[in-house]
Amino acid sequence: MSKKKIELLGFKRDKWIYNIIIPVLSIITFLLIWELLVRYGIIPTRYLPRPSELINTFIDKLSNPKPEGSTLPMNILSSLRISLSGFLTAVIIGVPLGWFMGWYKPIDRFVKPLFETIRPIPPIAWIPLTILLLGIGIRAKVYIIFFAAFVPCVINAYTGIRLADITLINVAKTCGANNFQIFVKVGIPSSFQMVFAGIRIALGASWTTLVAAEMLAAGSGLGYMILMGRQFARPDLIVLGMLIIGSIGALMAIVLSKIEQRMEVWRFKK
Amino acid sequence: METKKTRFIKKAFYLLLSLSSIALLIIGWIFLASRRPGLFPSPQETWDRLILFLEKPLRGPLYKHVWDSLRRVVIAVAAACGLGVIFGTALGWSRLFKSTFGTIFEIIRPIPPIAWVPLITIWFGIGEFPKILLVFIGTFAIVVINTAAGVMMAEPLYLAVGKIFQANNFQMIREIVLPASIPAIFAGIRTALGVGWAIVLAAEMLGSISGTGFLIARGMQIGDTALIFICMFIIGIIGALLSLFASFIERRVCPWRTEK
Repeated sequence: MSKKKIELLGFKRDKWIYNIIIPVLSIITFLLIWELLVRYGIIPTRYLPRPSELINTFIDKLSNPKPEGSTLPMNILSSLRISLSGFLTAVIIGVPLGWFMGWYKPIDRFVKPLFETIRPIPPIAWIPLTILLLGIGIRAKVYIIFFAAFVPCVINAYTGIRLADITLINVAKTCGANNFQIFVKVGIPSSFQMVFAGIRIALGASWTTLVAAEMLAAGSGLGYMILMGRQFARPDLIVLGMLIIGSIGALMAIVLSKIEQRMEVWRFKK
Repeated sequence: METKKTRFIKKAFYLLLSLSSIALLIIGWIFLASRRPGLFPSPQETWDRLILFLEKPLRGPLYKHVWDSLRRVVIAVAAACGLGVIFGTALGWSRLFKSTFGTIFEIIRPIPPIAWVPLITIWFGIGEFPKILLVFIGTFAIVVINTAAGVMMAEPLYLAVGKIFQANNFQMIREIVLPASIPAIFAGIRTALGVGWAIVLAAEMLGSISGTGFLIARGMQIGDTALIFICMFIIGIIGALLSLFASFIERRVCPWRTEK
């Protein structure tokens, strides 16, 4: 009994060491090496800022619109607004479309050729055309992000609903449900896991594509900020922007997985 | 007999649906072109532009641009596979490696590859190497994650057998872990090829004098929508071919994974 307890404690301690202490130490070491490399001029400051310098830039940029014209919160807000509106539109249109395509064969046959035509074109390749046709405003960017997020939503909803268990479908049929009822009660719930996987891909794609769109044509946003960082030779601004873009991307992924757990409560209940 | 007939009618109906959707696409295209002439080229104009381009190349013939982009992707993905499999195996195998280098990897990973463009331009200019590096950054993470997942899924029973036969770490990885993770690794490579093809476009659009990304960006700068159309078609076709090629290799290398 006591031996077991000791073992358990040892395991717990191990977990503590590997999950918290060593990672924190390695981050500190990483930052330290970085700081020293730049401080002693092994990497020139015009190539890479010091980590300590980044903190100053961050605080300064919170309220200072220079050099590219908007403060950091304004940039974040503008990026988030555009990417989320494109992303949500894609989810609202793409997921039901995938469901219908996966369930009703005529719809599948009708939409498939259109869908397969746009599917292999990377979202970034839509940017030039969209900018020429719609300008560089918000509408153009939302449109580009829509394309980036739309494809994974459709594909995953389509695959997910096709994975619906045939036994469950037959049970529903036996109980006298019509096709539409089976679609709603059996098909859609069984596709949830795949749909969420698709939404996760879509979210990542929309954020990445937004950065690309902002670098190619925009007047504000995080992508514009790092591009201007290059123009003004401000590596601190670039690295700060990269870190913020990365952390917002990671944060959105975490929020999404929390929502997924919430919505899939019935899956874990049993 | 009756069922055969209905089946035939059904098939014809489905075919008709597919054909009508393609027809709709083309009609929609022509309609849009007639609404906004000059800005939105008709199929005929696009075709003419393609012929013109083949006759009067823009900084090199078309196949050279395609080849330049493809070469960058292939070199970068090959490098990403080589290093990514090593890094991913270490990540999946060793807890210490995971909690040191893995942590730093996890911090850097969420940064989209395209966000590296300004920094890499400051470091290396706009030559050939920075573009390959950019594609490498984007694809390395995919290979690493897939490899690590594959390594961690290795059957514990086999590992126990290996231990009983007193295999050392290196033998265990080579004989048990790597063969078990090949499907995951190849799934990663397939994704990496697709992603790499998209990233190389972005890299070329943001500063280059060759490649399909350069062509499409040039089309944007001079307002040549027909050229953009041609590029989008070519990009789409090559992307689809790359994905076919990758699944073909995948099926050859691990034939037991027949699904999908």
